[in-house]
Amino acid sequence: MDAIILKLTALIYLLAAGSFFHYLFRGETAARLPTALLLLGFVIHSIALASRFFQEGFAGVAMMGHALLFNGWLMVGIYLLIQIKYHLSILGGIIAPLAFLMTFAAFAVGKGAAEIPPALQTYWLPVHVTLAFLGNAVFALAFGVSLIYLLQERRLKHKKMTALMKRFPPLESLDRLNYMLLVWGFPLMTLGILTGSLWAGIHWGNYWSWDPRQISSAIAWLFYAALLHGRITAGLRGKKAALLTMFGFCVVLGYFLWGDALFPSRHGGRFE
Amino acid sequence: MQKEIVIVGLNHRSAPIEVRESVAFEHSYVRDGLARLRAYPTILEGVILSTCNRVEVVAAASDGRLAFSHISEFLDDQKAQRHAASLDDHIYVYQGADAVRHLFRVAASLDSMVVGEPQILGQLKQYYDAAQQAGTVGAILHRLFHRSFSVAKRVRNETAIGSGAVSISSVAVDLAKRIFDRFDDKTVMLIGAGKMGDLMARHLQSHGARSLMVTNRTFERAVALAERIQGSPIRFEDFSRYLKLADLVIGCAGAADVLIDATTVERVLRERKQKTMFFLDIGDRRNFDAKINDLDNVYLYNIDDLKSVAEDNRLERSNEAEKAEGIVREEVASFVRWMDSLEQVPTITALRHRFEEIRRREIEKSLGGGLKDLSAQQRAALDDLTTAMINKLLHGPISQLKKNASEDGDDTTLYVAALKRLFDLERK
Repeated sequence: MDAIILKLTALIYLLAAGSFFHYLFRGETAARLPTALLLLGFVIHSIALASRFFQEGFAGVAMMGHALLFNGWLMVGIYLLIQIKYHLSILGGIIAPLAFLMTFAAFAVGKGAAEIPPALQTYWLPVHVTLAFLGNAVFALAFGVSLIYLLQERRLKHKKMTALMKRFPPLESLDRLNYMLLVWGFPLMTLGILTGSLWAGIHWGNYWSWDPRQISSAIAWLFYAALLHGRITAGLRGKKAALLTMFGFCVVLGYFLWGDALFPSRHGGRFE
Repeated sequence: MQKEIVIVGLNHRSAPIEVRESVAFEHSYVRDGLARLRAYPTILEGVILSTCNRVEVVAAASDGRLAFSHISEFLDDQKAQRHAASLDDHIYVYQGADAVRHLFRVAASLDSMVVGEPQILGQLKQYYDAAQQAGTVGAILHRLFHRSFSVAKRVRNETAIGSGAVSISSVAVDLAKRIFDRFDDKTVMLIGAGKMGDLMARHLQSHGARSLMVTNRTFERAVALAERIQGSPIRFEDFSRYLKLADLVIGCAGAADVLIDATTVERVLRERKQKTMFFLDIGDRRNFDAKINDLDNVYLYNIDDLKSVAEDNRLERSNEAEKAEGIVREEVASFVRWMDSLEQVPTITALRHRFEEIRRREIEKSLGGGLKDLSAQQRAALDDLTTAMINKLLHGPISQLKKNASEDGDDTTLYVAALKRLFDLERK
């Protein structure tokens, strides 16, 4: 049952992605259909997620597949919220395929890492994981917005207009949205790291154990902090800011996907 | 009586501007023209369309061929005396399905000089309204024009024919809109008093730009221009100091020297914290250093770039036009079906009348002769019997005809014509 719902979610996200591409490249109607499909996918996704939580408890997020499912759900949810205000259908063209890949990977990867010992299953778990994942989801969206910015910027510089470009929002709005996502994503990431550290301090007695995930998060955090600082004080914006935003997300994503396999740690299932 | 749709006219392809102008209707005379048109016995309904690119008469006529010569005569009368030459070489005529197709293409802006320009639909509506007020629109033209409006809407919705600016200043505004999301908080600087710059500044103002600086080598000219377009004049020596306030910079100074180079822009960008700038170099000679475009957050388009974007858009429009022609084909077919069904109803009535007439004549003949002894009851039975026979006989052909008209109209005209010939229905 669980697997069927999951496959259905992935299928609908795939349809939504196709529909977004159709809208972007053929573009005869408004982007209502792809957005509706994405919303439908999100509803079924919510059911799949709820059923998992119900069966396995929140502690299931220690498993890769589960974590991807939760992260993807947050990402689509935030996109839908942004869509209400900004009508950024073109971003849907990036989010929908990404959501498909994440849900598809969720049942492809399957179980994975070990279970979290009962001693660790306190309120800190959902708080830390949700905050950290929210940060990830916001940065994933910032990645998409930056990619669109770069495509649009390149076209304008090279003076090559295409039909696709007409669907792109103005650079100014993209840059502003990108900044806004950074402003939201950065505190979420900070809180994610802080709660994780506090939890570790309470459980293991030391707040900072040079866990590889801690190190990579700290690198990404410093990176985003520098970006935010540059934006506020030095007028860092536009193309450079977009490139840096994309790079930052690659650090986060890269570690999220492969880090635990390369450097087994507490996040990868070694809870001692 | 059978009505035919007829269009006679001339447009930007068939006639030079002098000829078009000599025939054009001034707006206040359209009503007059319609009255004159309606006076011809063949013209049952009429609409006059007169824009700078075309003068056309759309009519529903009782006799197509006669209507052509009447409308040509009408246009010849309309022609100003100073052009003695005949209109014959410049006039085109369309009839039936071709006329329907022509009007649909005009409405969808496929027949326009700039394909896809949106004004023609409004003009068409305006002239249709005028004809309606003058009382020269009947059922056929009513349906034809309303159909043409919805064809135009379909083409606009289903193809990208109207998208993509094709004039220089609208291309510039279009580009600016891809960079900036609003203009009311932007400042425009206009360097030079060239005509193109003036035009572009106004265009930006109409899109919301409020703050405008104007500079020129001759300060008096800057002041005059600034007054005209509600900007503030700036001395030419000072403009580079004000440059950091400008989000859009329009260069149209005429002279061949570079007024702003990349180093200056780099400094200005630092001063304005890298806020995006858009440079438009639209004079005949270049005023801005081409290297400016290599800087981050700065875009520079010169007049040739704008022209080539406009050209690309024009090409794209012509691709979309093919899609639009397909829509027009569909719509013409469905309109022609409707016209045919109009013809079919009176034919059915005439057919019934003809049969009824024969029946009555024959009954009267018999009752006056061999059957004169029948009782009233028997007479009534005879009446019922013959009526039932006729109804049964006609039921098959009539329902076949109706079915044909509602499914595919191709054969309807043929059947209607055959019935008319076979039963001699047009005798009266």
